[in-house]
Amino acid sequence: MTVNSLKNHPHLAGEICVTLNWQEIKELKSVISECEDDKDMQQMASEVLSEATEGEKKFQVLLLKSLLPKDDADERDCILEVRAGTGGEEASLFAMDIFKMYEKYSVKKGWKYEVLEVAESDLKGYKEAIASISGTSVYRKLKFESGIHRVQRVPVTEKAGRVHTSAVSVAILPQADQLDVKLRNEDLRIDTYRSGGSGGQHANTTNSAVRITHMPSGITVSIQDQRSQHMNKAKALKILCAKLYEIERLSNQSSRSKLRLKQIGSGDRSERIRTYNFPQGRVTDHRVGITTHSIDDVLQGDDLDAFIDALLLREEMDAIALFSST
Amino acid sequence: MRLSFIRPISCCAVSSPTTLVKPQTPLFLRPPTFKTTLTDLKKWHLWAKSLASSVGSAFLNLDNGPDSNQLLRELNWLIEDAIGTPKSILEQPHKSRNGNSTVLIRTCLDELYVLWKQRVEERRPFQYVVGCEHWRDLVLSVQEGVLIPRPETELIVDLVDEAIKENEELRDGLWGDLGTGSGALAIGIARILGSKGRVIATDLSPVATAVASYNVQRYDLEEKVHVKQGSWFEPLRDNEGEFVGLVSNPPYIPSKDIGGLQAEVGRHEPRLALDGGASGMNDLIHLCDGAVSMLKPGGFFAFETNGDEQSKFLVHYIETKKQGSFSKVKMVSDFAGIQRFITGFRGR
Ligand SMILES: C[S@@+](CC[C@H](N)C(=O)[O-])C[C@H]1O[C@@H](n2cnc3c(N)ncnc32)[C@H](O)[C@@H]1O
Repeated sequence: MTVNSLKNHPHLAGEICVTLNWQEIKELKSVISECEDDKDMQQMASEVLSEATEGEKKFQVLLLKSLLPKDDADERDCILEVRAGTGGEEASLFAMDIFKMYEKYSVKKGWKYEVLEVAESDLKGYKEAIASISGTSVYRKLKFESGIHRVQRVPVTEKAGRVHTSAVSVAILPQADQLDVKLRNEDLRIDTYRSGGSGGQHANTTNSAVRITHMPSGITVSIQDQRSQHMNKAKALKILCAKLYEIERLSNQSSRSKLRLKQIGSGDRSERIRTYNFPQGRVTDHRVGITTHSIDDVLQGDDLDAFIDALLLREEMDAIALFSST
Repeated sequence: MRLSFIRPISCCAVSSPTTLVKPQTPLFLRPPTFKTTLTDLKKWHLWAKSLASSVGSAFLNLDNGPDSNQLLRELNWLIEDAIGTPKSILEQPHKSRNGNSTVLIRTCLDELYVLWKQRVEERRPFQYVVGCEHWRDLVLSVQEGVLIPRPETELIVDLVDEAIKENEELRDGLWGDLGTGSGALAIGIARILGSKGRVIATDLSPVATAVASYNVQRYDLEEKVHVKQGSWFEPLRDNEGEFVGLVSNPPYIPSKDIGGLQAEVGRHEPRLALDGGASGMNDLIHLCDGAVSMLKPGGFFAFETNGDEQSKFLVHYIETKKQGSFSKVKMVSDFAGIQRFITGFRGR
């Protein structure tokens, strides 16, 4: 029975297959107990038995997985927002490192990473940076990155060589379009940079900053990095839609999936999820309790999967646990 | 109407107008064949930054010109356009690069000094300095003699898009962009039309028609956009009554205001593109008059104006002097809340 055909009829196919496997296992067991004298036969039977038991286990997991409730945002692209928190310039410099870590990770995954907006700090760190990431299963892979990322290191600005602790917040939002959030033009107010003059042919300006206000919710998004007003507006709308979609999702989500997110710890943006300790060269994820000692590889986007895979596995396990307990 | 497209000579982007104007290649499209060192490039960058910073808000106060922040942002874009090697090398001084390493640029370093001096000291518009303007999702080539398309004008394409979505018949018809300049509107509209949709773009200025043709070619739209030189409707006589849509951003600044314009505009952009006569409305009125016979019944028009006063006047003009010719005539404001456009439909 292949996983593919199982997808089509998860319940039915699963039952038949489990039954078959069960029978096989039962028979093998009786062969082993009946052939006490034939050592070879016994040996062979127990080998096959352990294979069958193994396959049976794998199969059960697959079956469960196919029955688990899916996050319908999993396949969506996402918006990444990185913001420097406590720690001033050092936090901004680390925000830049984190932002670039996701860029490198995305490139390795073959995803498209598009910078939407960067607000630089005095030392060329990032006070805030936003990117759009698109590709296969982007949101599924990155959703658990939301939260506070803490850094411990000696800042370049620190003369005495003391280790500082600063923090950066990361938000991962599934992307949505205007239809997803039923955005109406009437609900939007769009402001542009006004030179104060008559505009049009009178003015030559390269400032095409756009601020969009969604009047019902009061959310505003400003973008000024792009070289045309149209592009600034398009990017601002993209971010606005993601924000509105997230709000809608959080209020609609069933209590069960909310619980799931909470258990893993990404329900709350203000939760500290990971620590990057430079003096010790380690990165620790506080939710799955995993530590790697290759901090550089993590920041180069190479080792991020160690955490991401563990978190995804944890999500699955939690879901299975929840599923089988109901 | 179709005939004019089939005529073999009408390979528009190549058939040059009488006066030969060779369009310039924007900086970002030139090959990075010039070499300099990182040290020299950084020296230039420092010099350019301090020149930009020295401006403060002097230009802003003088004539609504750019302030230092704006100039610094433009400087980043100049680097983006001029450098063949990734721009980040300027930002990462310490990382494994010594000062002697070669940097490839698209014009020589001396020229970069000249260009930035022109930008700041002569107030030459940034878009002429780099030879292009980012407009909507397009990057259009521009040069002296052609108006730099304005952000307000981007909205006309959205207005056309809305009109087409309401009446799909407009998607595959003939459109006109009068006074096309760089070709911005013609290209923007051509890209939302259907496979049979066509645009004729006209301009009196040979530089404009040459640059527009070049931009049309760059966007592979030679089949869709036909550039013609001549005054307003004159080159369109063969197509009277065939247009499903007309757009224009004609010169609309009253003559008396030309002298007081922001230096970038007044000193560097072509007067032919700006001066709309005593009231500023000479051309707009001419366009409203001509649209009656050019448009098919149900055809759409959108014109840009100087703002509230002109828009109100024109709506009134159409309602009284062109009674019955147009329907649903209205004013549309730009993002700054100025009644920037008038739109309407030819009566059925
Ligand atoms: C304000 S510019 C607009 C250019 C372009 N449509 C845009 O929006 O960027 C006006 C244009 O009208 C052209 N123009 C001026 N007088 C004209 C005439 N009599 N016939 C055709 N075009 C004319 C100018 O050369 C200029 O390109």
